[in-house]
Amino acid sequence: MFGQLKLILIGITLLGATGGVAYVYKLKADNAILKENQIKLEEAVNEQQQVIAQQKQDFESILEANKELNKLSASLQKDLDVLDDKFNKTNASGKKRDIGDLANARPSTIERIINRATSNAQRCVDIAMGSPLTEKELNATKKSEINSECPSLANPNFIDY
Amino acid sequence: MTISCSRGVDRIETVKTEVKRAPLNLDKPAVPKQEELNWIIINSENAEEVFAKLKEKGTDPVLFGLTDDEYEDLSMNFAQIRNYIIQQNFVLDKYKEYYESEEVNGTVEKR
Repeated sequence: MFGQLKLILIGITLLGATGGVAYVYKLKADNAILKENQIKLEEAVNEQQQVIAQQKQDFESILEANKELNKLSASLQKDLDVLDDKFNKTNASGKKRDIGDLANARPSTIERIINRATSNAQRCVDIAMGSPLTEKELNATKKSEINSECPSLANPNFIDY
Repeated sequence: MTISCSRGVDRIETVKTEVKRAPLNLDKPAVPKQEELNWIIINSENAEEVFAKLKEKGTDPVLFGLTDDEYEDLSMNFAQIRNYIIQQNFVLDKYKEYYESEEVNGTVEKR
């Protein structure tokens, strides 16, 4: 009877010890997984931060490109307005310029003017298509030196006051 | 048989490597050479003189005409086409800069 009780007690003790060891192993395994998870989470956070930084940079680039495009459009519209004004300028007496009347009265003078303007306009298209600016165009600062058809394009150093 | 039973099947591992798209890098077309144009203004008074000059030069005595309003419209159209080319070029450059810039250390470096 006493022997049997002793065996049972030993069995219980061994079972407890085995359970304890198994539990420690489980804790160790859990701990390793937790450490791995922690590393993965840190990496994920780091990657997310990089993505956010890149998105921020992209957004700033888009804003900047839009701003530059608007600025360019405004300056091109100004050139168009100047051209429109050349044809429809109103003089001091309130009369609108009529290029037809002028050409009828002084055909050779107007011919010379529009031929020069056409040559200038062709140069503007050349520049628009990628032709580099000449030294003369770059150095033009006076009204008499500029390409009056597209000063914003052909003469970047000219400031119209 | 003993050997094949004792050794399990190896797991195949695949690795994904991101390969960046090669930039398109198309050259811009060469600037075409434009021919010089010469306008001739003709009215009821100088018509004969103009045609006589054309004959003198050996040019066909014929002119393709525009009224003053149409001349203005042509000038405006020409200017608008020019502006369109400029804007189109600008947009192309910006797209190239945006999509074909090189990524270095997480930051974008413009080419």
